[in-house]
Amino acid sequence: MKTFRLPVSIALLSAAIIAFQLALIQILSIVQWYHFAYMVISVALLGFGAAGSMLAILRKSMVSHTILLTPISMMLTGMAMSVVTDVSQMAVVRFDSYLLFSEYTHIGKLFITYLSFFVPFFLGALAIGLVFVKYVDDIGKIYFANLLGSGAGGVTALLLIWFFFPNQLPALIAILPVLAGLLIIPKAKWHLPVAFALVAGALITWKCLSPPQLVSSEFKDISKTLLLPDAKITLEKTSPYGVVQMVTSPVLRYAPGMSLTAQKTAKVKMAAFINGDWFGPVTDWKQSDTSMILDYTTSALPYTMGQRNNVVVLQPGTGIDVAHAVSRGAKNVVAVEANPIMLSTLKYQFARDTDSLFSHPAVSVHSLEPRTFLSMDTSHFDLIVLPIVGAFGGSSGLYAMHEQFMLTRESFQEMWRSLNAHGVISVTSWMDYPVRNPLKILATMVEVLNTFGIHNAKDHIAAIRSWGTITFVMSKSSLQENEINDIRSFCEQMMFDPAILPQVSVEERTRYNQFQDDLFFDYVDKIFSPERDALYADYDFNIKPATDNKPYFSQYIKWGSLNRLAQFFGNRSLPFFEIGSLLVIVTLIQISVASLVFILLPLFIIGWRGKSKASIVLYFSGIGLGYMFVEMVFIQRLILYFGSPLYAASAVITALLIFSGLGSYHSNYFSLNKKRLLLIFTFIISILFVYSFTLTTVLQQTVHVNLFLKVLIVLLIIAPLAFCMGIPFPAGLTHISKKTKELVPWAWGINGCVSVISTVLATMVAAEMGFTWVILFAALAYCLPLFVQLSKEAGPASITERQ
Amino acid sequence: MKSILFLCISLLLSFQKDPFERKREEMVSQTIEKNGVTDKAVLKSMRAVKRHLFVPEDIASSAYEDRPLPIGYGQTISQPFIVAYMTEVIKPKPEYNVLEIGTGSGYQAAVLAEIVKEVYTIEIIPELGNAAAARLKKLGYRNVTAKVADGYFGWPEHGPYDAIVVTAAAEFVPPPLLEQLKDGGKIVIPIGSPFMNQTLMVIEKKGKKITTRSLMPVVFVPFTREKD
Repeated sequence: MKTFRLPVSIALLSAAIIAFQLALIQILSIVQWYHFAYMVISVALLGFGAAGSMLAILRKSMVSHTILLTPISMMLTGMAMSVVTDVSQMAVVRFDSYLLFSEYTHIGKLFITYLSFFVPFFLGALAIGLVFVKYVDDIGKIYFANLLGSGAGGVTALLLIWFFFPNQLPALIAILPVLAGLLIIPKAKWHLPVAFALVAGALITWKCLSPPQLVSSEFKDISKTLLLPDAKITLEKTSPYGVVQMVTSPVLRYAPGMSLTAQKTAKVKMAAFINGDWFGPVTDWKQSDTSMILDYTTSALPYTMGQRNNVVVLQPGTGIDVAHAVSRGAKNVVAVEANPIMLSTLKYQFARDTDSLFSHPAVSVHSLEPRTFLSMDTSHFDLIVLPIVGAFGGSSGLYAMHEQFMLTRESFQEMWRSLNAHGVISVTSWMDYPVRNPLKILATMVEVLNTFGIHNAKDHIAAIRSWGTITFVMSKSSLQENEINDIRSFCEQMMFDPAILPQVSVEERTRYNQFQDDLFFDYVDKIFSPERDALYADYDFNIKPATDNKPYFSQYIKWGSLNRLAQFFGNRSLPFFEIGSLLVIVTLIQISVASLVFILLPLFIIGWRGKSKASIVLYFSGIGLGYMFVEMVFIQRLILYFGSPLYAASAVITALLIFSGLGSYHSNYFSLNKKRLLLIFTFIISILFVYSFTLTTVLQQTVHVNLFLKVLIVLLIIAPLAFCMGIPFPAGLTHISKKTKELVPWAWGINGCVSVISTVLATMVAAEMGFTWVILFAALAYCLPLFVQLSKEAGPASITERQ
Repeated sequence: MKSILFLCISLLLSFQKDPFERKREEMVSQTIEKNGVTDKAVLKSMRAVKRHLFVPEDIASSAYEDRPLPIGYGQTISQPFIVAYMTEVIKPKPEYNVLEIGTGSGYQAAVLAEIVKEVYTIEIIPELGNAAAARLKKLGYRNVTAKVADGYFGWPEHGPYDAIVVTAAAEFVPPPLLEQLKDGGKIVIPIGSPFMNQTLMVIEKKGKKITTRSLMPVVFVPFTREKD
């Protein structure tokens, strides 16, 4: 490799692959839901494993034509990227995730979707694999270009998403692989690649001028809203936070769980959606209003107990709770919303429609993750309002795998510390069936009170219930007689029932809103009693409080209960209880089976014998698993640190890839003997072990510092580790290549397959065991290559010696 | 010979007449009845209404499975058991005047129409509402009156109603519906994802007092493990 062209070409292609992946996540999140995007992309990314498998099988013939095949594969990647979205949106192919479990034809459609998105990844990976195999002696530099390009691709995609809608992105990104191919066209055989480039250019131009129309699932919130009379989209805005759409219709109204005594409902001027999912209503609130629709819901509970002057509203969405606080006379209302795009849109573009709510003198706005705000702010509040938990009729477990740091035990502890002497935390939840959300909220509150040494939790918690919602308040001081009386009279007035209140009678709990039996109250009472742990164990759903280590509040599934639930609700209903968790399992099974095929298939050609093969599997699986586990942990841990998932993901991916790239580049310039590799693995494992115990504390202690210092701290944490993590992959391939070149593509394919599996596996480990275990598993994964190194028989440093 | 020919023709005719009759009977006896719906009028109605005519043709063969089915526009036809259970809950009588909010494909209206005197049904999505109105008319349901409108306001001209069946999910109960409900009348609303087994909420109006009741269909049982 004598010129810079090849590394630049690889960097461009790698950038395109990552950017395309991010664009597809956006596209699939719009047409379906994020969870299905995750599943489809995971399968598509197996293109790397498949390319490795193909190269291992056809190595000789393909490597001898690398010079021609590589640019052609790149051109084909560009072509595929530009058209696959159209293919997936054709009526005969378009699958609907809601129908997967009821209409089996959609399984076939899903399979075709998998295939169509698999193609560009496979072709792109084939080009990268060809270069890796052909120029394995320069793997350090090439892998450096690969990592650097991937990092740049992520940043490029984020920048593009600010200016272009997701459906416009694939064609734009497709330019990169074509450019990559043009850079390495062989002088002697230029005709065929140029012909491919011309076709690719024509396709890309066509798709840039005529991007695919995205058709959202008919079951998405926005699809249903757009069917309403005279519904129209009044604004569409794209950003990495998702596509914001504002919809108007004269029949839009909002009054969640409104009292049956109320004689009005809130007219909704506009409904806001992000990626087609409901975000919130913009009601007809006016600054002069002294009452509003929420006064007729259980959410009014904290205001019935007394005047609230200092109020913080966490994740206010479109601001209805902020408006409520202002209308109830709050002097200082702090709105903490993590989505800056929605905030600025409502504050500036729709100032007239919101009656300048976000510019009201009493209102101050912070664009941060609520938890980050709570840990940085030192004020004390009369009231902390959380957004409504769950959705009317349940959310079908869609959020089971979403981190919800605001609903963890630690979060409630922070909120508790931010209350003044008579302050309260208020949480409203939809009554779900089977009941889950209200029980987990209550369990969290009771456990938090216990941690502060308050064992008479019943004196600090009140809850009232309408036909559809339940609102809990957790008070810093014991509930006073006048507060209890006020709650009772509010319930009487609204035909609500007190669910938790000192001296509440059995009859009073169901005066207006009855259940078929009293089980709900049995559960509530058990949570206050020493029987709480027994209830956690016996209940068919996981109602144990979420923690920062396992921040999956909506993860209710207990694998041991599945059979029982299937028996009662039927197999077809079951997925809709916990679709998020089940999809992760389905994804893991699919990619594991496919990976196994891709890994085993080449062995029929290159042979099964030789202990080195087991070493290669262990070595490349270990570094693949370890790397992705580390990446995921860092992203999750830094969300609260930076106060934004976007910044967290950008910082981690960029830092990890750049420093790993530098490590890889560096590996080209020094001899990597067995001893040095042992040292590197030992260093990685030790650091990970230390991080598993100290990372959270370090981040918590420095969350108050300014952004510059935060970035510096994160670089100090990530850089040395990432640098070392960049070395084992090129080192491994180099050592294998010395005597057994035919195993290089196979090893690369293994790494590709395991990397995909590990992202899914990491999610499962985090949900079931917590993030601390994800780091420890990462350390454990790096023990595999260490073990290979220590083994006398095998190891990339010694594999070749034995062959 | 003639008798065999006659038998064959009658068999053929009987098949052409209603090829789903056996499936419908199985749906009623093995799912609906078995799971606790006992109202004879409701069971008779469920036996009479040809559900396969209320779902898209390509999924007609699944019409008698006890599960919700998509009918387009993001809407579903509820599972047969829930339709029967909702109908039973309002304790329908032949003299009843019933309002339905959310016509969908018209199936629930047809089931009600077999039992009560008048059914008024409102659908907000024109494509669904018009198709359902035409279907109900074609099937001869003369006691069903359908219109395309915003169900929020009910249909005061034909009220008050003995019962109101809200088949579409509602985050709130529109005040006009409560006004149009007779004293002693009931509103029934299914709650839960349309693809899941749903629970029902029944609202009863007695004088100035309005009470609600969450009803778990009898096929469901409490959610704690039975102690050994």
